[in-house]
This record gives sequence, structure tokens and C-alpha cells, in this order.
Amino acid sequence: MPRAERPASAESCATLLLACAEAGQTVRVRGGATKDHLGTLRPTDVVLETAGLAGILDHVPEDLTVTVGAGTLMSALRDALAAHGQFLPLDPPHLARGATVGGVIAANSNGFARYRYGGVRDLLLGIRVALPDGTVARAGGRVVKNVAGYDLNKLYTGSLGTLGVITEATFKILPIPPALRGTSAVFAKAADAFAAADAVVRTSLRPIALVVERTTERRWRLIVAAAGEQAPVDRAMTETARAAAERGGAMQELADLPDTLGQLREIVDHATDGGVIRVALPISAQTAFAEAAAAADRNVRLVADAASGTMHVHLRGDDTGILATADALLANARVVGGGGRVERAVAGLGAADGPDPAGAFLMRRLKQAFDPRGILEPARMALG
Amino acid sequence: MTTAPVAVRSGLRGADLAAGLRDLLGPAKVLWAREDLLLYEYDGAIDTATPDAVVLPTETADVAKVARFCAAHKVPLVPRGAGTGLSGGAIPVEGGVVLSFARMARILELDVANLRAVVQPGLVNLHLSTAAAPSGLYFVPDPSSQKACTLGGNVAENSGGPHTLAYGVTTNHVTGLEIVLSDGTIVRIGGKAIECEGYDLVGTFVGSEGTLGIVTEITVKLTPLPEDKRTLMAAFPTMDDASNTVSAIIGAGIVPSAIEMMDQLSTQAVEASVGAGYPLDAGGILLVEVDGVRDGLDDLLGRIETICRAAHAQELRVAATALERDKLWAGRKGAFAAMGRLASDYYVQDGVIPRTKLPEVLRHVIDVGERYGLRIANVFHAGDGNLHPLIMFDGSKGEAEVERVKEAGREILLKCLEVGGSITGEHGVGMEKNCYMPLQYSSVDLATMLRVRDAFDPLRLSNPGKIFPTPSRCKEFSLNAAR
Repeated sequence: MPRAERPASAESCATLLLACAEAGQTVRVRGGATKDHLGTLRPTDVVLETAGLAGILDHVPEDLTVTVGAGTLMSALRDALAAHGQFLPLDPPHLARGATVGGVIAANSNGFARYRYGGVRDLLLGIRVALPDGTVARAGGRVVKNVAGYDLNKLYTGSLGTLGVITEATFKILPIPPALRGTSAVFAKAADAFAAADAVVRTSLRPIALVVERTTERRWRLIVAAAGEQAPVDRAMTETARAAAERGGAMQELADLPDTLGQLREIVDHATDGGVIRVALPISAQTAFAEAAAAADRNVRLVADAASGTMHVHLRGDDTGILATADALLANARVVGGGGRVERAVAGLGAADGPDPAGAFLMRRLKQAFDPRGILEPARMALG
Repeated sequence: MTTAPVAVRSGLRGADLAAGLRDLLGPAKVLWAREDLLLYEYDGAIDTATPDAVVLPTETADVAKVARFCAAHKVPLVPRGAGTGLSGGAIPVEGGVVLSFARMARILELDVANLRAVVQPGLVNLHLSTAAAPSGLYFVPDPSSQKACTLGGNVAENSGGPHTLAYGVTTNHVTGLEIVLSDGTIVRIGGKAIECEGYDLVGTFVGSEGTLGIVTEITVKLTPLPEDKRTLMAAFPTMDDASNTVSAIIGAGIVPSAIEMMDQLSTQAVEASVGAGYPLDAGGILLVEVDGVRDGLDDLLGRIETICRAAHAQELRVAATALERDKLWAGRKGAFAAMGRLASDYYVQDGVIPRTKLPEVLRHVIDVGERYGLRIANVFHAGDGNLHPLIMFDGSKGEAEVERVKEAGREILLKCLEVGGSITGEHGVGMEKNCYMPLQYSSVDLATMLRVRDAFDPLRLSNPGKIFPTPSRCKEFSLNAAR
């Protein structure tokens, strides 16, 4: 059994990391334990829990910024900001299961609102990180614009705990928009659903969700949500309905929009059988990719953020078939100029990691520079 | 103008260096004559230094060849776009080779289907939006120098502009890069997709001011042009009133695409130069723009006008035509150039503060001007809290005058840091503010950044003397703890 540690400050995090480095002990960083499906999870000597780093440290509503401890529950942050009529415009999954601020950053965990508001990397203004040499380093700051020094916010975002332990973060936040509406339509063909979505992307409607789902009934459903002032939101609904109608879809207002989006967002957690891959594609490559996925696995469930070109694909059927399909789809994603990874594995699927990403040698040098003894999350990112 | 003390460096210099580069690239791509080099010893800031040679690459392979050659001979590499930078980023403070991207200025691909463009670093910012406009698209970051500044420079400095308040700065619009490391290695990172596997090297690189390597190709996002816009000029009796209006607009839950502020000194200079139609009797004016779908824009504008009136606005004018809008913006974007009417030289600061501190910090700026007997104009991105105090001076008065001006600038930056801000919002640290970095970041913070630098540029030949404090030029600060 690994030893659980729960440091109460950034400094004690750093002290713990230094002790582990000196003793040659490996460390897993854990917030709400909702991201264990990401990367290769090798057992470690220590599990560093960030729950002791929770709490809102600074919130100036008029400045639209908030600084929080990394162990803060995303749901707690949401509720605290809502009390001031504000929100952090990230809509990642796993909130109900206890996703934390630090975990969302480390996993670069985004939702459908990225097209409208930006993703984790775009909203993160400043960060504090405990490093394996026992130091605590800041990058960025607490103001909305800052180019002093390297933007290490970006480096830590998505680094899965392999470079350091995120202890604190400052985000740009926004007022909660007054109006919210959503609609959906069902299409027989992937091409029609994606084309309708694409028509919306090429406007200034700026929806907060533009999702294409392949349903368990093997149909293609387009879900569009808009938020903002009432008039532009209404206009977004009208325009979306027109784009759908031109391609044979009939948009219907969604009465249960938050639930609908929640179901789509949690595709990974809902996948209790088979395996899940996730790809990021140039947006025009989505239709062909989705069709290829459906052709390879007749029962595939697929959820695409059609505005950003990211897609989760839940593959079903026998394990051998899933492995072959996952390999083929990930290779396909790379061929069209995107990339991807396995998010939830069946036995053996973890091996489908594929070739090194571009610039892998630079990533290895960075890992070496931050964690020379390799104690943090060994093997998790397949960069050695 | 000040000539920076050039650190004595080892490595190839002078005629031998120029001869080596000529052998490498041919004489048409190398400048070495004294009179040619003079053109490359300054940029938009106030420090100068002369390069040993200038090369004008026409393709990535040229850049890689030069880098390999310079690595072998310990020669610094300093990339240069249009030289509009305001922090001395393109100044070869430690000598070496300046790589001018004037001949790598093409749009390689306008990928409308994927909302991306692939461009060379020497491409002028505005040329991209002009080329994308027939497809209904544009490149969002719009520095005031966008008629001249290049995409490569924008990437290096992570440039902003008036319209980045709602839509983000350069880093939010770059998805892929080709870079040449200081050892000559060509690396492609990122691509056309929104993200890639592994660490976000693109995000780490943007804003690194040439210190991690040299950009040779850039993949950027293109954004659908807004269906409509409303542009409002609001004049106020005092800067305090204008500042309070900014907070009130944001506080009302409105995030305009731009909120720009100008003080009286600026509007008077602009009127004399551009004739944008700003009232001359106002203590401060705001330019506020909202854009998006047409529906609801007038309501939004009405709410902003109500807020302005409540904050004592003396005049409100909405641009009725595109021509009127362009005129209002021409004044703002031409403001720095208009300062030539007030003084022979200016020193511009770029500090950022929390928006709520605007009145307090602007009063401090006025106080600094009075104490130093220097005229200071303020033209800035109020919505982001990104100040641009322009300190007027006469460079012909000599070194002591310049030092006094820098000291006044330093006091303003210290105030920005005191209220929780940053020393630079979009112009970069360069060689102009690197000595102030230890005031904003601890030695541990800087040491961590140096780890990143050494992962990309272990030779430390890529634009040396920038961002990080250097012992030769930052006497009061040392980087001892930062290894």
C-alpha cells in the first residue's frame, strides 16, 4: 500500500517532495481521484493528496479574478462564485465525483464551453507549484494580462503531475450570463450533423456548446447551447434551427439542458464496458473521422465538441476488435494532422499509445529539468 | 538614446563572422557594412546596440544553417520582425547576428475549412486579416502597430491590442509553430488541432521573446468576423470619472470587445495629428466597442451609455458609419506616433494592474510626472488594466535625462507591483525591464524559468540578455540564487 500524505501548505508539499526525491520514493498526486483513467498509472510509494490545499484564497469580484487552493473542489468553487453572480467558465466532467481545481489543470480537463470562453490554458492567469527540489515557484500573476517571464501556466496545464504539484491557481472569471437556451436535432447522417454545426461555427453566435453525438440508436444528434444576453441567445436558437433545417434536421428546445450536457460530458464515466479514446482534430476532419469510427464499430457511442474538434469515442464489442479499432482511429487522427490517446482502457489498450508527439525530446528535457530523479508520476505521460 | 553596455563575449566577431555567414548563405542574404548595420541597432524602445552582422533568411533551412554556424562559434542569435517592439527585444545587446524576417513574409496557407492560417514570421499582422476578410475571417490580436508589426514578433512578445479584452491575446490564437533551436535543430510543435499530446510546448514558447528559439512558421486561429459592432466615444471631465466607468461597465456584467482610455494630453496630440474628432476639453475619454450578432447590440450600447452618464460623461458619440468608427480607432492606434508633436522622444511603460486600482494608480502616475517635471500621457487598454504611460523627454539632453526618465518609469512600475500587478502586459520584458524581474518574481520563480530556457537553449545563445536580469546591466539585482 502506498503511503498517503496530505500536506497542508505549498511549503510542506515541497518539503515532502524533496524528502521523497532524496529517498528515491515515487509520488502520485491526487485531488478528487477522478482522473485515474488518464495515462499509465504505475503504483507509487507515496500518494500526495491535495485535500489539505483547499479554499478560496482571494476573490475580488470587481476584478473578475479568483485565487484558489489546488485541492478546492470545482463544485465548491462554482458555488462560492455563484453567490457573487460569477462563474469560472470551464465546464469539465467529474464535478459530481469530486474533481478538484488542481486536477482539472493537471489533466487539462475541458468541456464544451472552450470554443466560447477558452480552455484551462486560456483562463489560468497564475499558478504556484511545489517542485521535487523542495522549492515553491510561481508563474504568471493575478492580473488578466501579463507577459513578464515565461508563461509556465501553459506548461503545467495538462502535465498530469509529472513536473510538480500544483498548489494554487488564479483564474479569470466572468459574470453569469442572464440567458441560457439549448436545442437539439437528430440526423441520419454524420455529415449533416457536422455540417450544421460547422455553419454555426462560422458565425459570431459563439455558442457555449456545439456537440455532435452518435446515439445508442445509431443516429447523429446535434446539441447547441447559447448563453448571454437574451436577444443574441434567441438569435442563436433561430440560426441553429435554420442550419439544421437546411440539412433535414428539426431542432427542438431542450427543457433539461444542464442534464443533457452533463450526460454528454460524462461519456468516459458512463463507459462501463469496452474502451474510450479521445482525439483532437482539425475541425474539418471530424465528419470523416466519425464515419470511420461508426463503420469500424456499429455500436460506437461518440461525443464530439464540434466547435473545437475534440471527440470521445466509446468503443464496444470484443477486446481484440476494440484494440484494432482504437489503433486504427488513433493512427487516422494523426494522419489528418490531429492526435489522440486512450482514455479508458480495456486490457491491453494502454499499449496503443502510438509514436512520440512532435517535440518529444524537448518534453523529455523539461521533465528531466523539473524532476531529475523521476519521482513524480513515473511513466504516466509515456515520455520516460 | 542610450547605448547599452555590451557584454564582452567570446566567439567569432566582426569581419570573420561576416565572411563565415557569406560563405554559408551567399552575399545576398548577409549585411555586414557599418552603414547597413546601423539600421538594425534600434527598435521601438530606447536602447540601442549594433549587431556584428545581419542575415536575411528566405527559408527555414537558412535559419537552421545560421544557428548551427553560430552555435559552433558561440555567436548570439537575435530574431527581428519589423522592429516595432517596445522593450528592446530585437536589440543585439550582446552583439551577434540579427536575423531579419523581411524575406519570410508569406501566407503559406489560408485554411478556411479549419479556421487556420499557416504563415511565415515576417508577415505583417494586418496583412493576415486583410487576406482572410473575403472568407469572413480575421486574426484577432490587433496591436496598435499592426500595419507594420509581424506575426513572428507577435508570437515572441505574446502581443495584445485593443480588441484582446474579450477575445484573448496572441497565445490564445496560436496552435502550431515551427521553431529552430539555437543548435540548429528544426522542430514542429502543435498543429491545426486545438491541442496536442504531451506538454503544451506551443503555449510555453509563445511570449518567450526569442530566448527559447526562433520561430520560422506559425499556425494561427482565424475567427469569424463579427456580424456587427457599435463603437462609442465617451468624454469625461476627469480621468477618475473615466476609470470609474470602466469598473462600472465590467461590474454590470458587460464584457465589451474593447475599452480604451486616453487622457487630455493624448487626445490633444491625436487631434493635432490625426483629427479623430476627440473633444479637446475632456479630462479623459473612453472608446468602448461591443460586437457580435446584431441582435441586442443596441440594448447593450444603451446600457453602457447609461453607465457613462451616471459617471458624469460630458459627451457621448456613437460612430454612425464604418468610416466614423475607423476614424475613432485611427486616433487611438495613431496615438503613440502622435506623441512626436509633444516631444522628440517618449518612453512607454506597459504595467498591468487590477482594474479596480485604476484611479489610484493613475493618480500616482500624475504625481510621478509632477515630481520629476516630466509630461506623461496615458493611452491604454483600460478594460484589461494595462497601462501605457508615455513619458515625454528630449533625448538630446543626454544620458542623465534618459536615466531620470527611466527612474520615473521605475516608480510607476513599482506602484503597479505594489497593487498586485505586473511590469508588462503585452510589450515584453526584453532588455528594458529585465532588471525589474526580481521585483515581480522570486529567485526560485526565475530559476524555474531558467530550467525551461536551458531545456530549449542550453547554449544560451538565443536572444541573450533578455527577460532574465544580467549581472552586467542589473547592478542592483543579482541572479545568484537563480543559478
